Amino acid sequence: MKRRIPIAFIFVIGEFIAFFLDGSLSQILSGTLYRYPNSLVPSLTLMWLILAVFFGDSKKLHITMWSAIIGFIFDMYYTGLLGVYVFIFPLVIYLCQTVYQMLPPNFMSGFLVYFLGITVWVSLGFVANSFIGQTSDSVAQFMVNTLAPTLAINLVFMALAYFPIEPLYRSHRQ
Amino acid sequence: MQKFFSSRKLVIVIVCLIISFGLMSVSVAFRNNRNTPPLVQQFGNDIVGFGDRIVAIPMNGVQHGFASIHNLLNTYQENQKLKSKVDQLAQTQVKDQVLERENKQLKRQLNVGSTLTGYEKINAAVITRTPSSWASQVVINKGQAAGVKKNMPVIAGPGLIGTVAEVNKTNSKVVLISNTAENSNRFAIQIIGAGSKVVNGVITSYDSQSNRIVMGNITSKAKLSKGDRVTTSGLGGVIPKGIYVGTVSKIAEDDYGLAKKVYIKPAANLNDIEVVSVAVRN
Repeated sequence: MKRRIPIAFIFVIGEFIAFFLDGSLSQILSGTLYRYPNSLVPSLTLMWLILAVFFGDSKKLHITMWSAIIGFIFDMYYTGLLGVYVFIFPLVIYLCQTVYQMLPPNFMSGFLVYFLGITVWVSLGFVANSFIGQTSDSVAQFMVNTLAPTLAINLVFMALAYFPIEPLYRSHRQ
Repeated sequence: MQKFFSSRKLVIVIVCLIISFGLMSVSVAFRNNRNTPPLVQQFGNDIVGFGDRIVAIPMNGVQHGFASIHNLLNTYQENQKLKSKVDQLAQTQVKDQVLERENKQLKRQLNVGSTLTGYEKINAAVITRTPSSWASQVVINKGQAAGVKKNMPVIAGPGLIGTVAEVNKTNSKVVLISNTAENSNRFAIQIIGAGSKVVNGVITSYDSQSNRIVMGNITSKAKLSKGDRVTTSGLGGVIPKGIYVGTVSKIAEDDYGLAKKVYIKPAANLNDIEVVSVAVRN
């Protein structure tokens, strides 16, 4: 029999691919995603992490550590502004983990937890950006033009990715 | 929830917050004052940039595929439109050549070396764009090694799209003019109005609702009209003179009614940038 690739390895590689896809999608579809005044920010990175929280063993995969690492790279490479996502990513992961444990493990609760995760992720990003004067949007503008569209696109991505990714982790659990 | 606020967790949260604010202030300060980011960050960015190319190249390939199909469907109409422009273009090109030669001769005669208009281009491809709704930023695949420096202007297609904000060895970040951050968008530009009177000014902000660049604090009495062309003025800093920015689309009074505010329609499409050139002043 062929030797199977360890799931931890797949998790990390998938994480980096998701990270780069975020930037590539933003670049290729920038006409659609960032058309004024709305902006739909894809966050496949966060999706991959949260799905790993749902299906995988977070102790074995070191999800919190990897979320901090990917957050640091996100700060360094994409925004050039250190100290923002390096804390937001682990916080969101911790929050999702805590809430998900209280709920029955099915698609609907996953959907709810993901909704919460994206909301916290985008809102904290907005707070950090307005703190340093990167944005001058008001809270109302932010909710209508950024939060709502971002939630919509990310929930669609999540609904599409949930069922293909579940068996990947399940097959490695035995 | 009781557990969350136990003192150990609280201490961790507070320490994280302090580190976060500290790092944020330090990186903003670096960005405003230094020409290159710290070496560690530069090194990291170079490595990540190489990794990104593995994903970005196939993705861009897919996009090119779609774009070429789209182009194929449009070819007939476009061809007709272009044909009508070709004759005009040849004429302008010849005139441009003659004028350039004349200009060179005159400069030699007057012993003027290089003026503000001369610049060379470094061509670069866009690797990726920041997935964030506030930072309008793209990463290009040329850096220090190719001669890119901070604050150099970046051109795509017909006109100016932004300036270089951060330079690493093999890639750099370009902040687009559509960025609404308080500390960006300070170009010196000029408008040539009626009777070739020149109005000098600075880009002060960007109106994201209508996709217009705003030039504020104009006290000149020169008459401007819709459709006047706007170029960089070459005053102050590393931006050469004569890079096309856009056309005047609206002229309004500012909030206090003392000065004028000009809304400029950018020439380049800021949401469709694949290849850019960095302008280096001679």
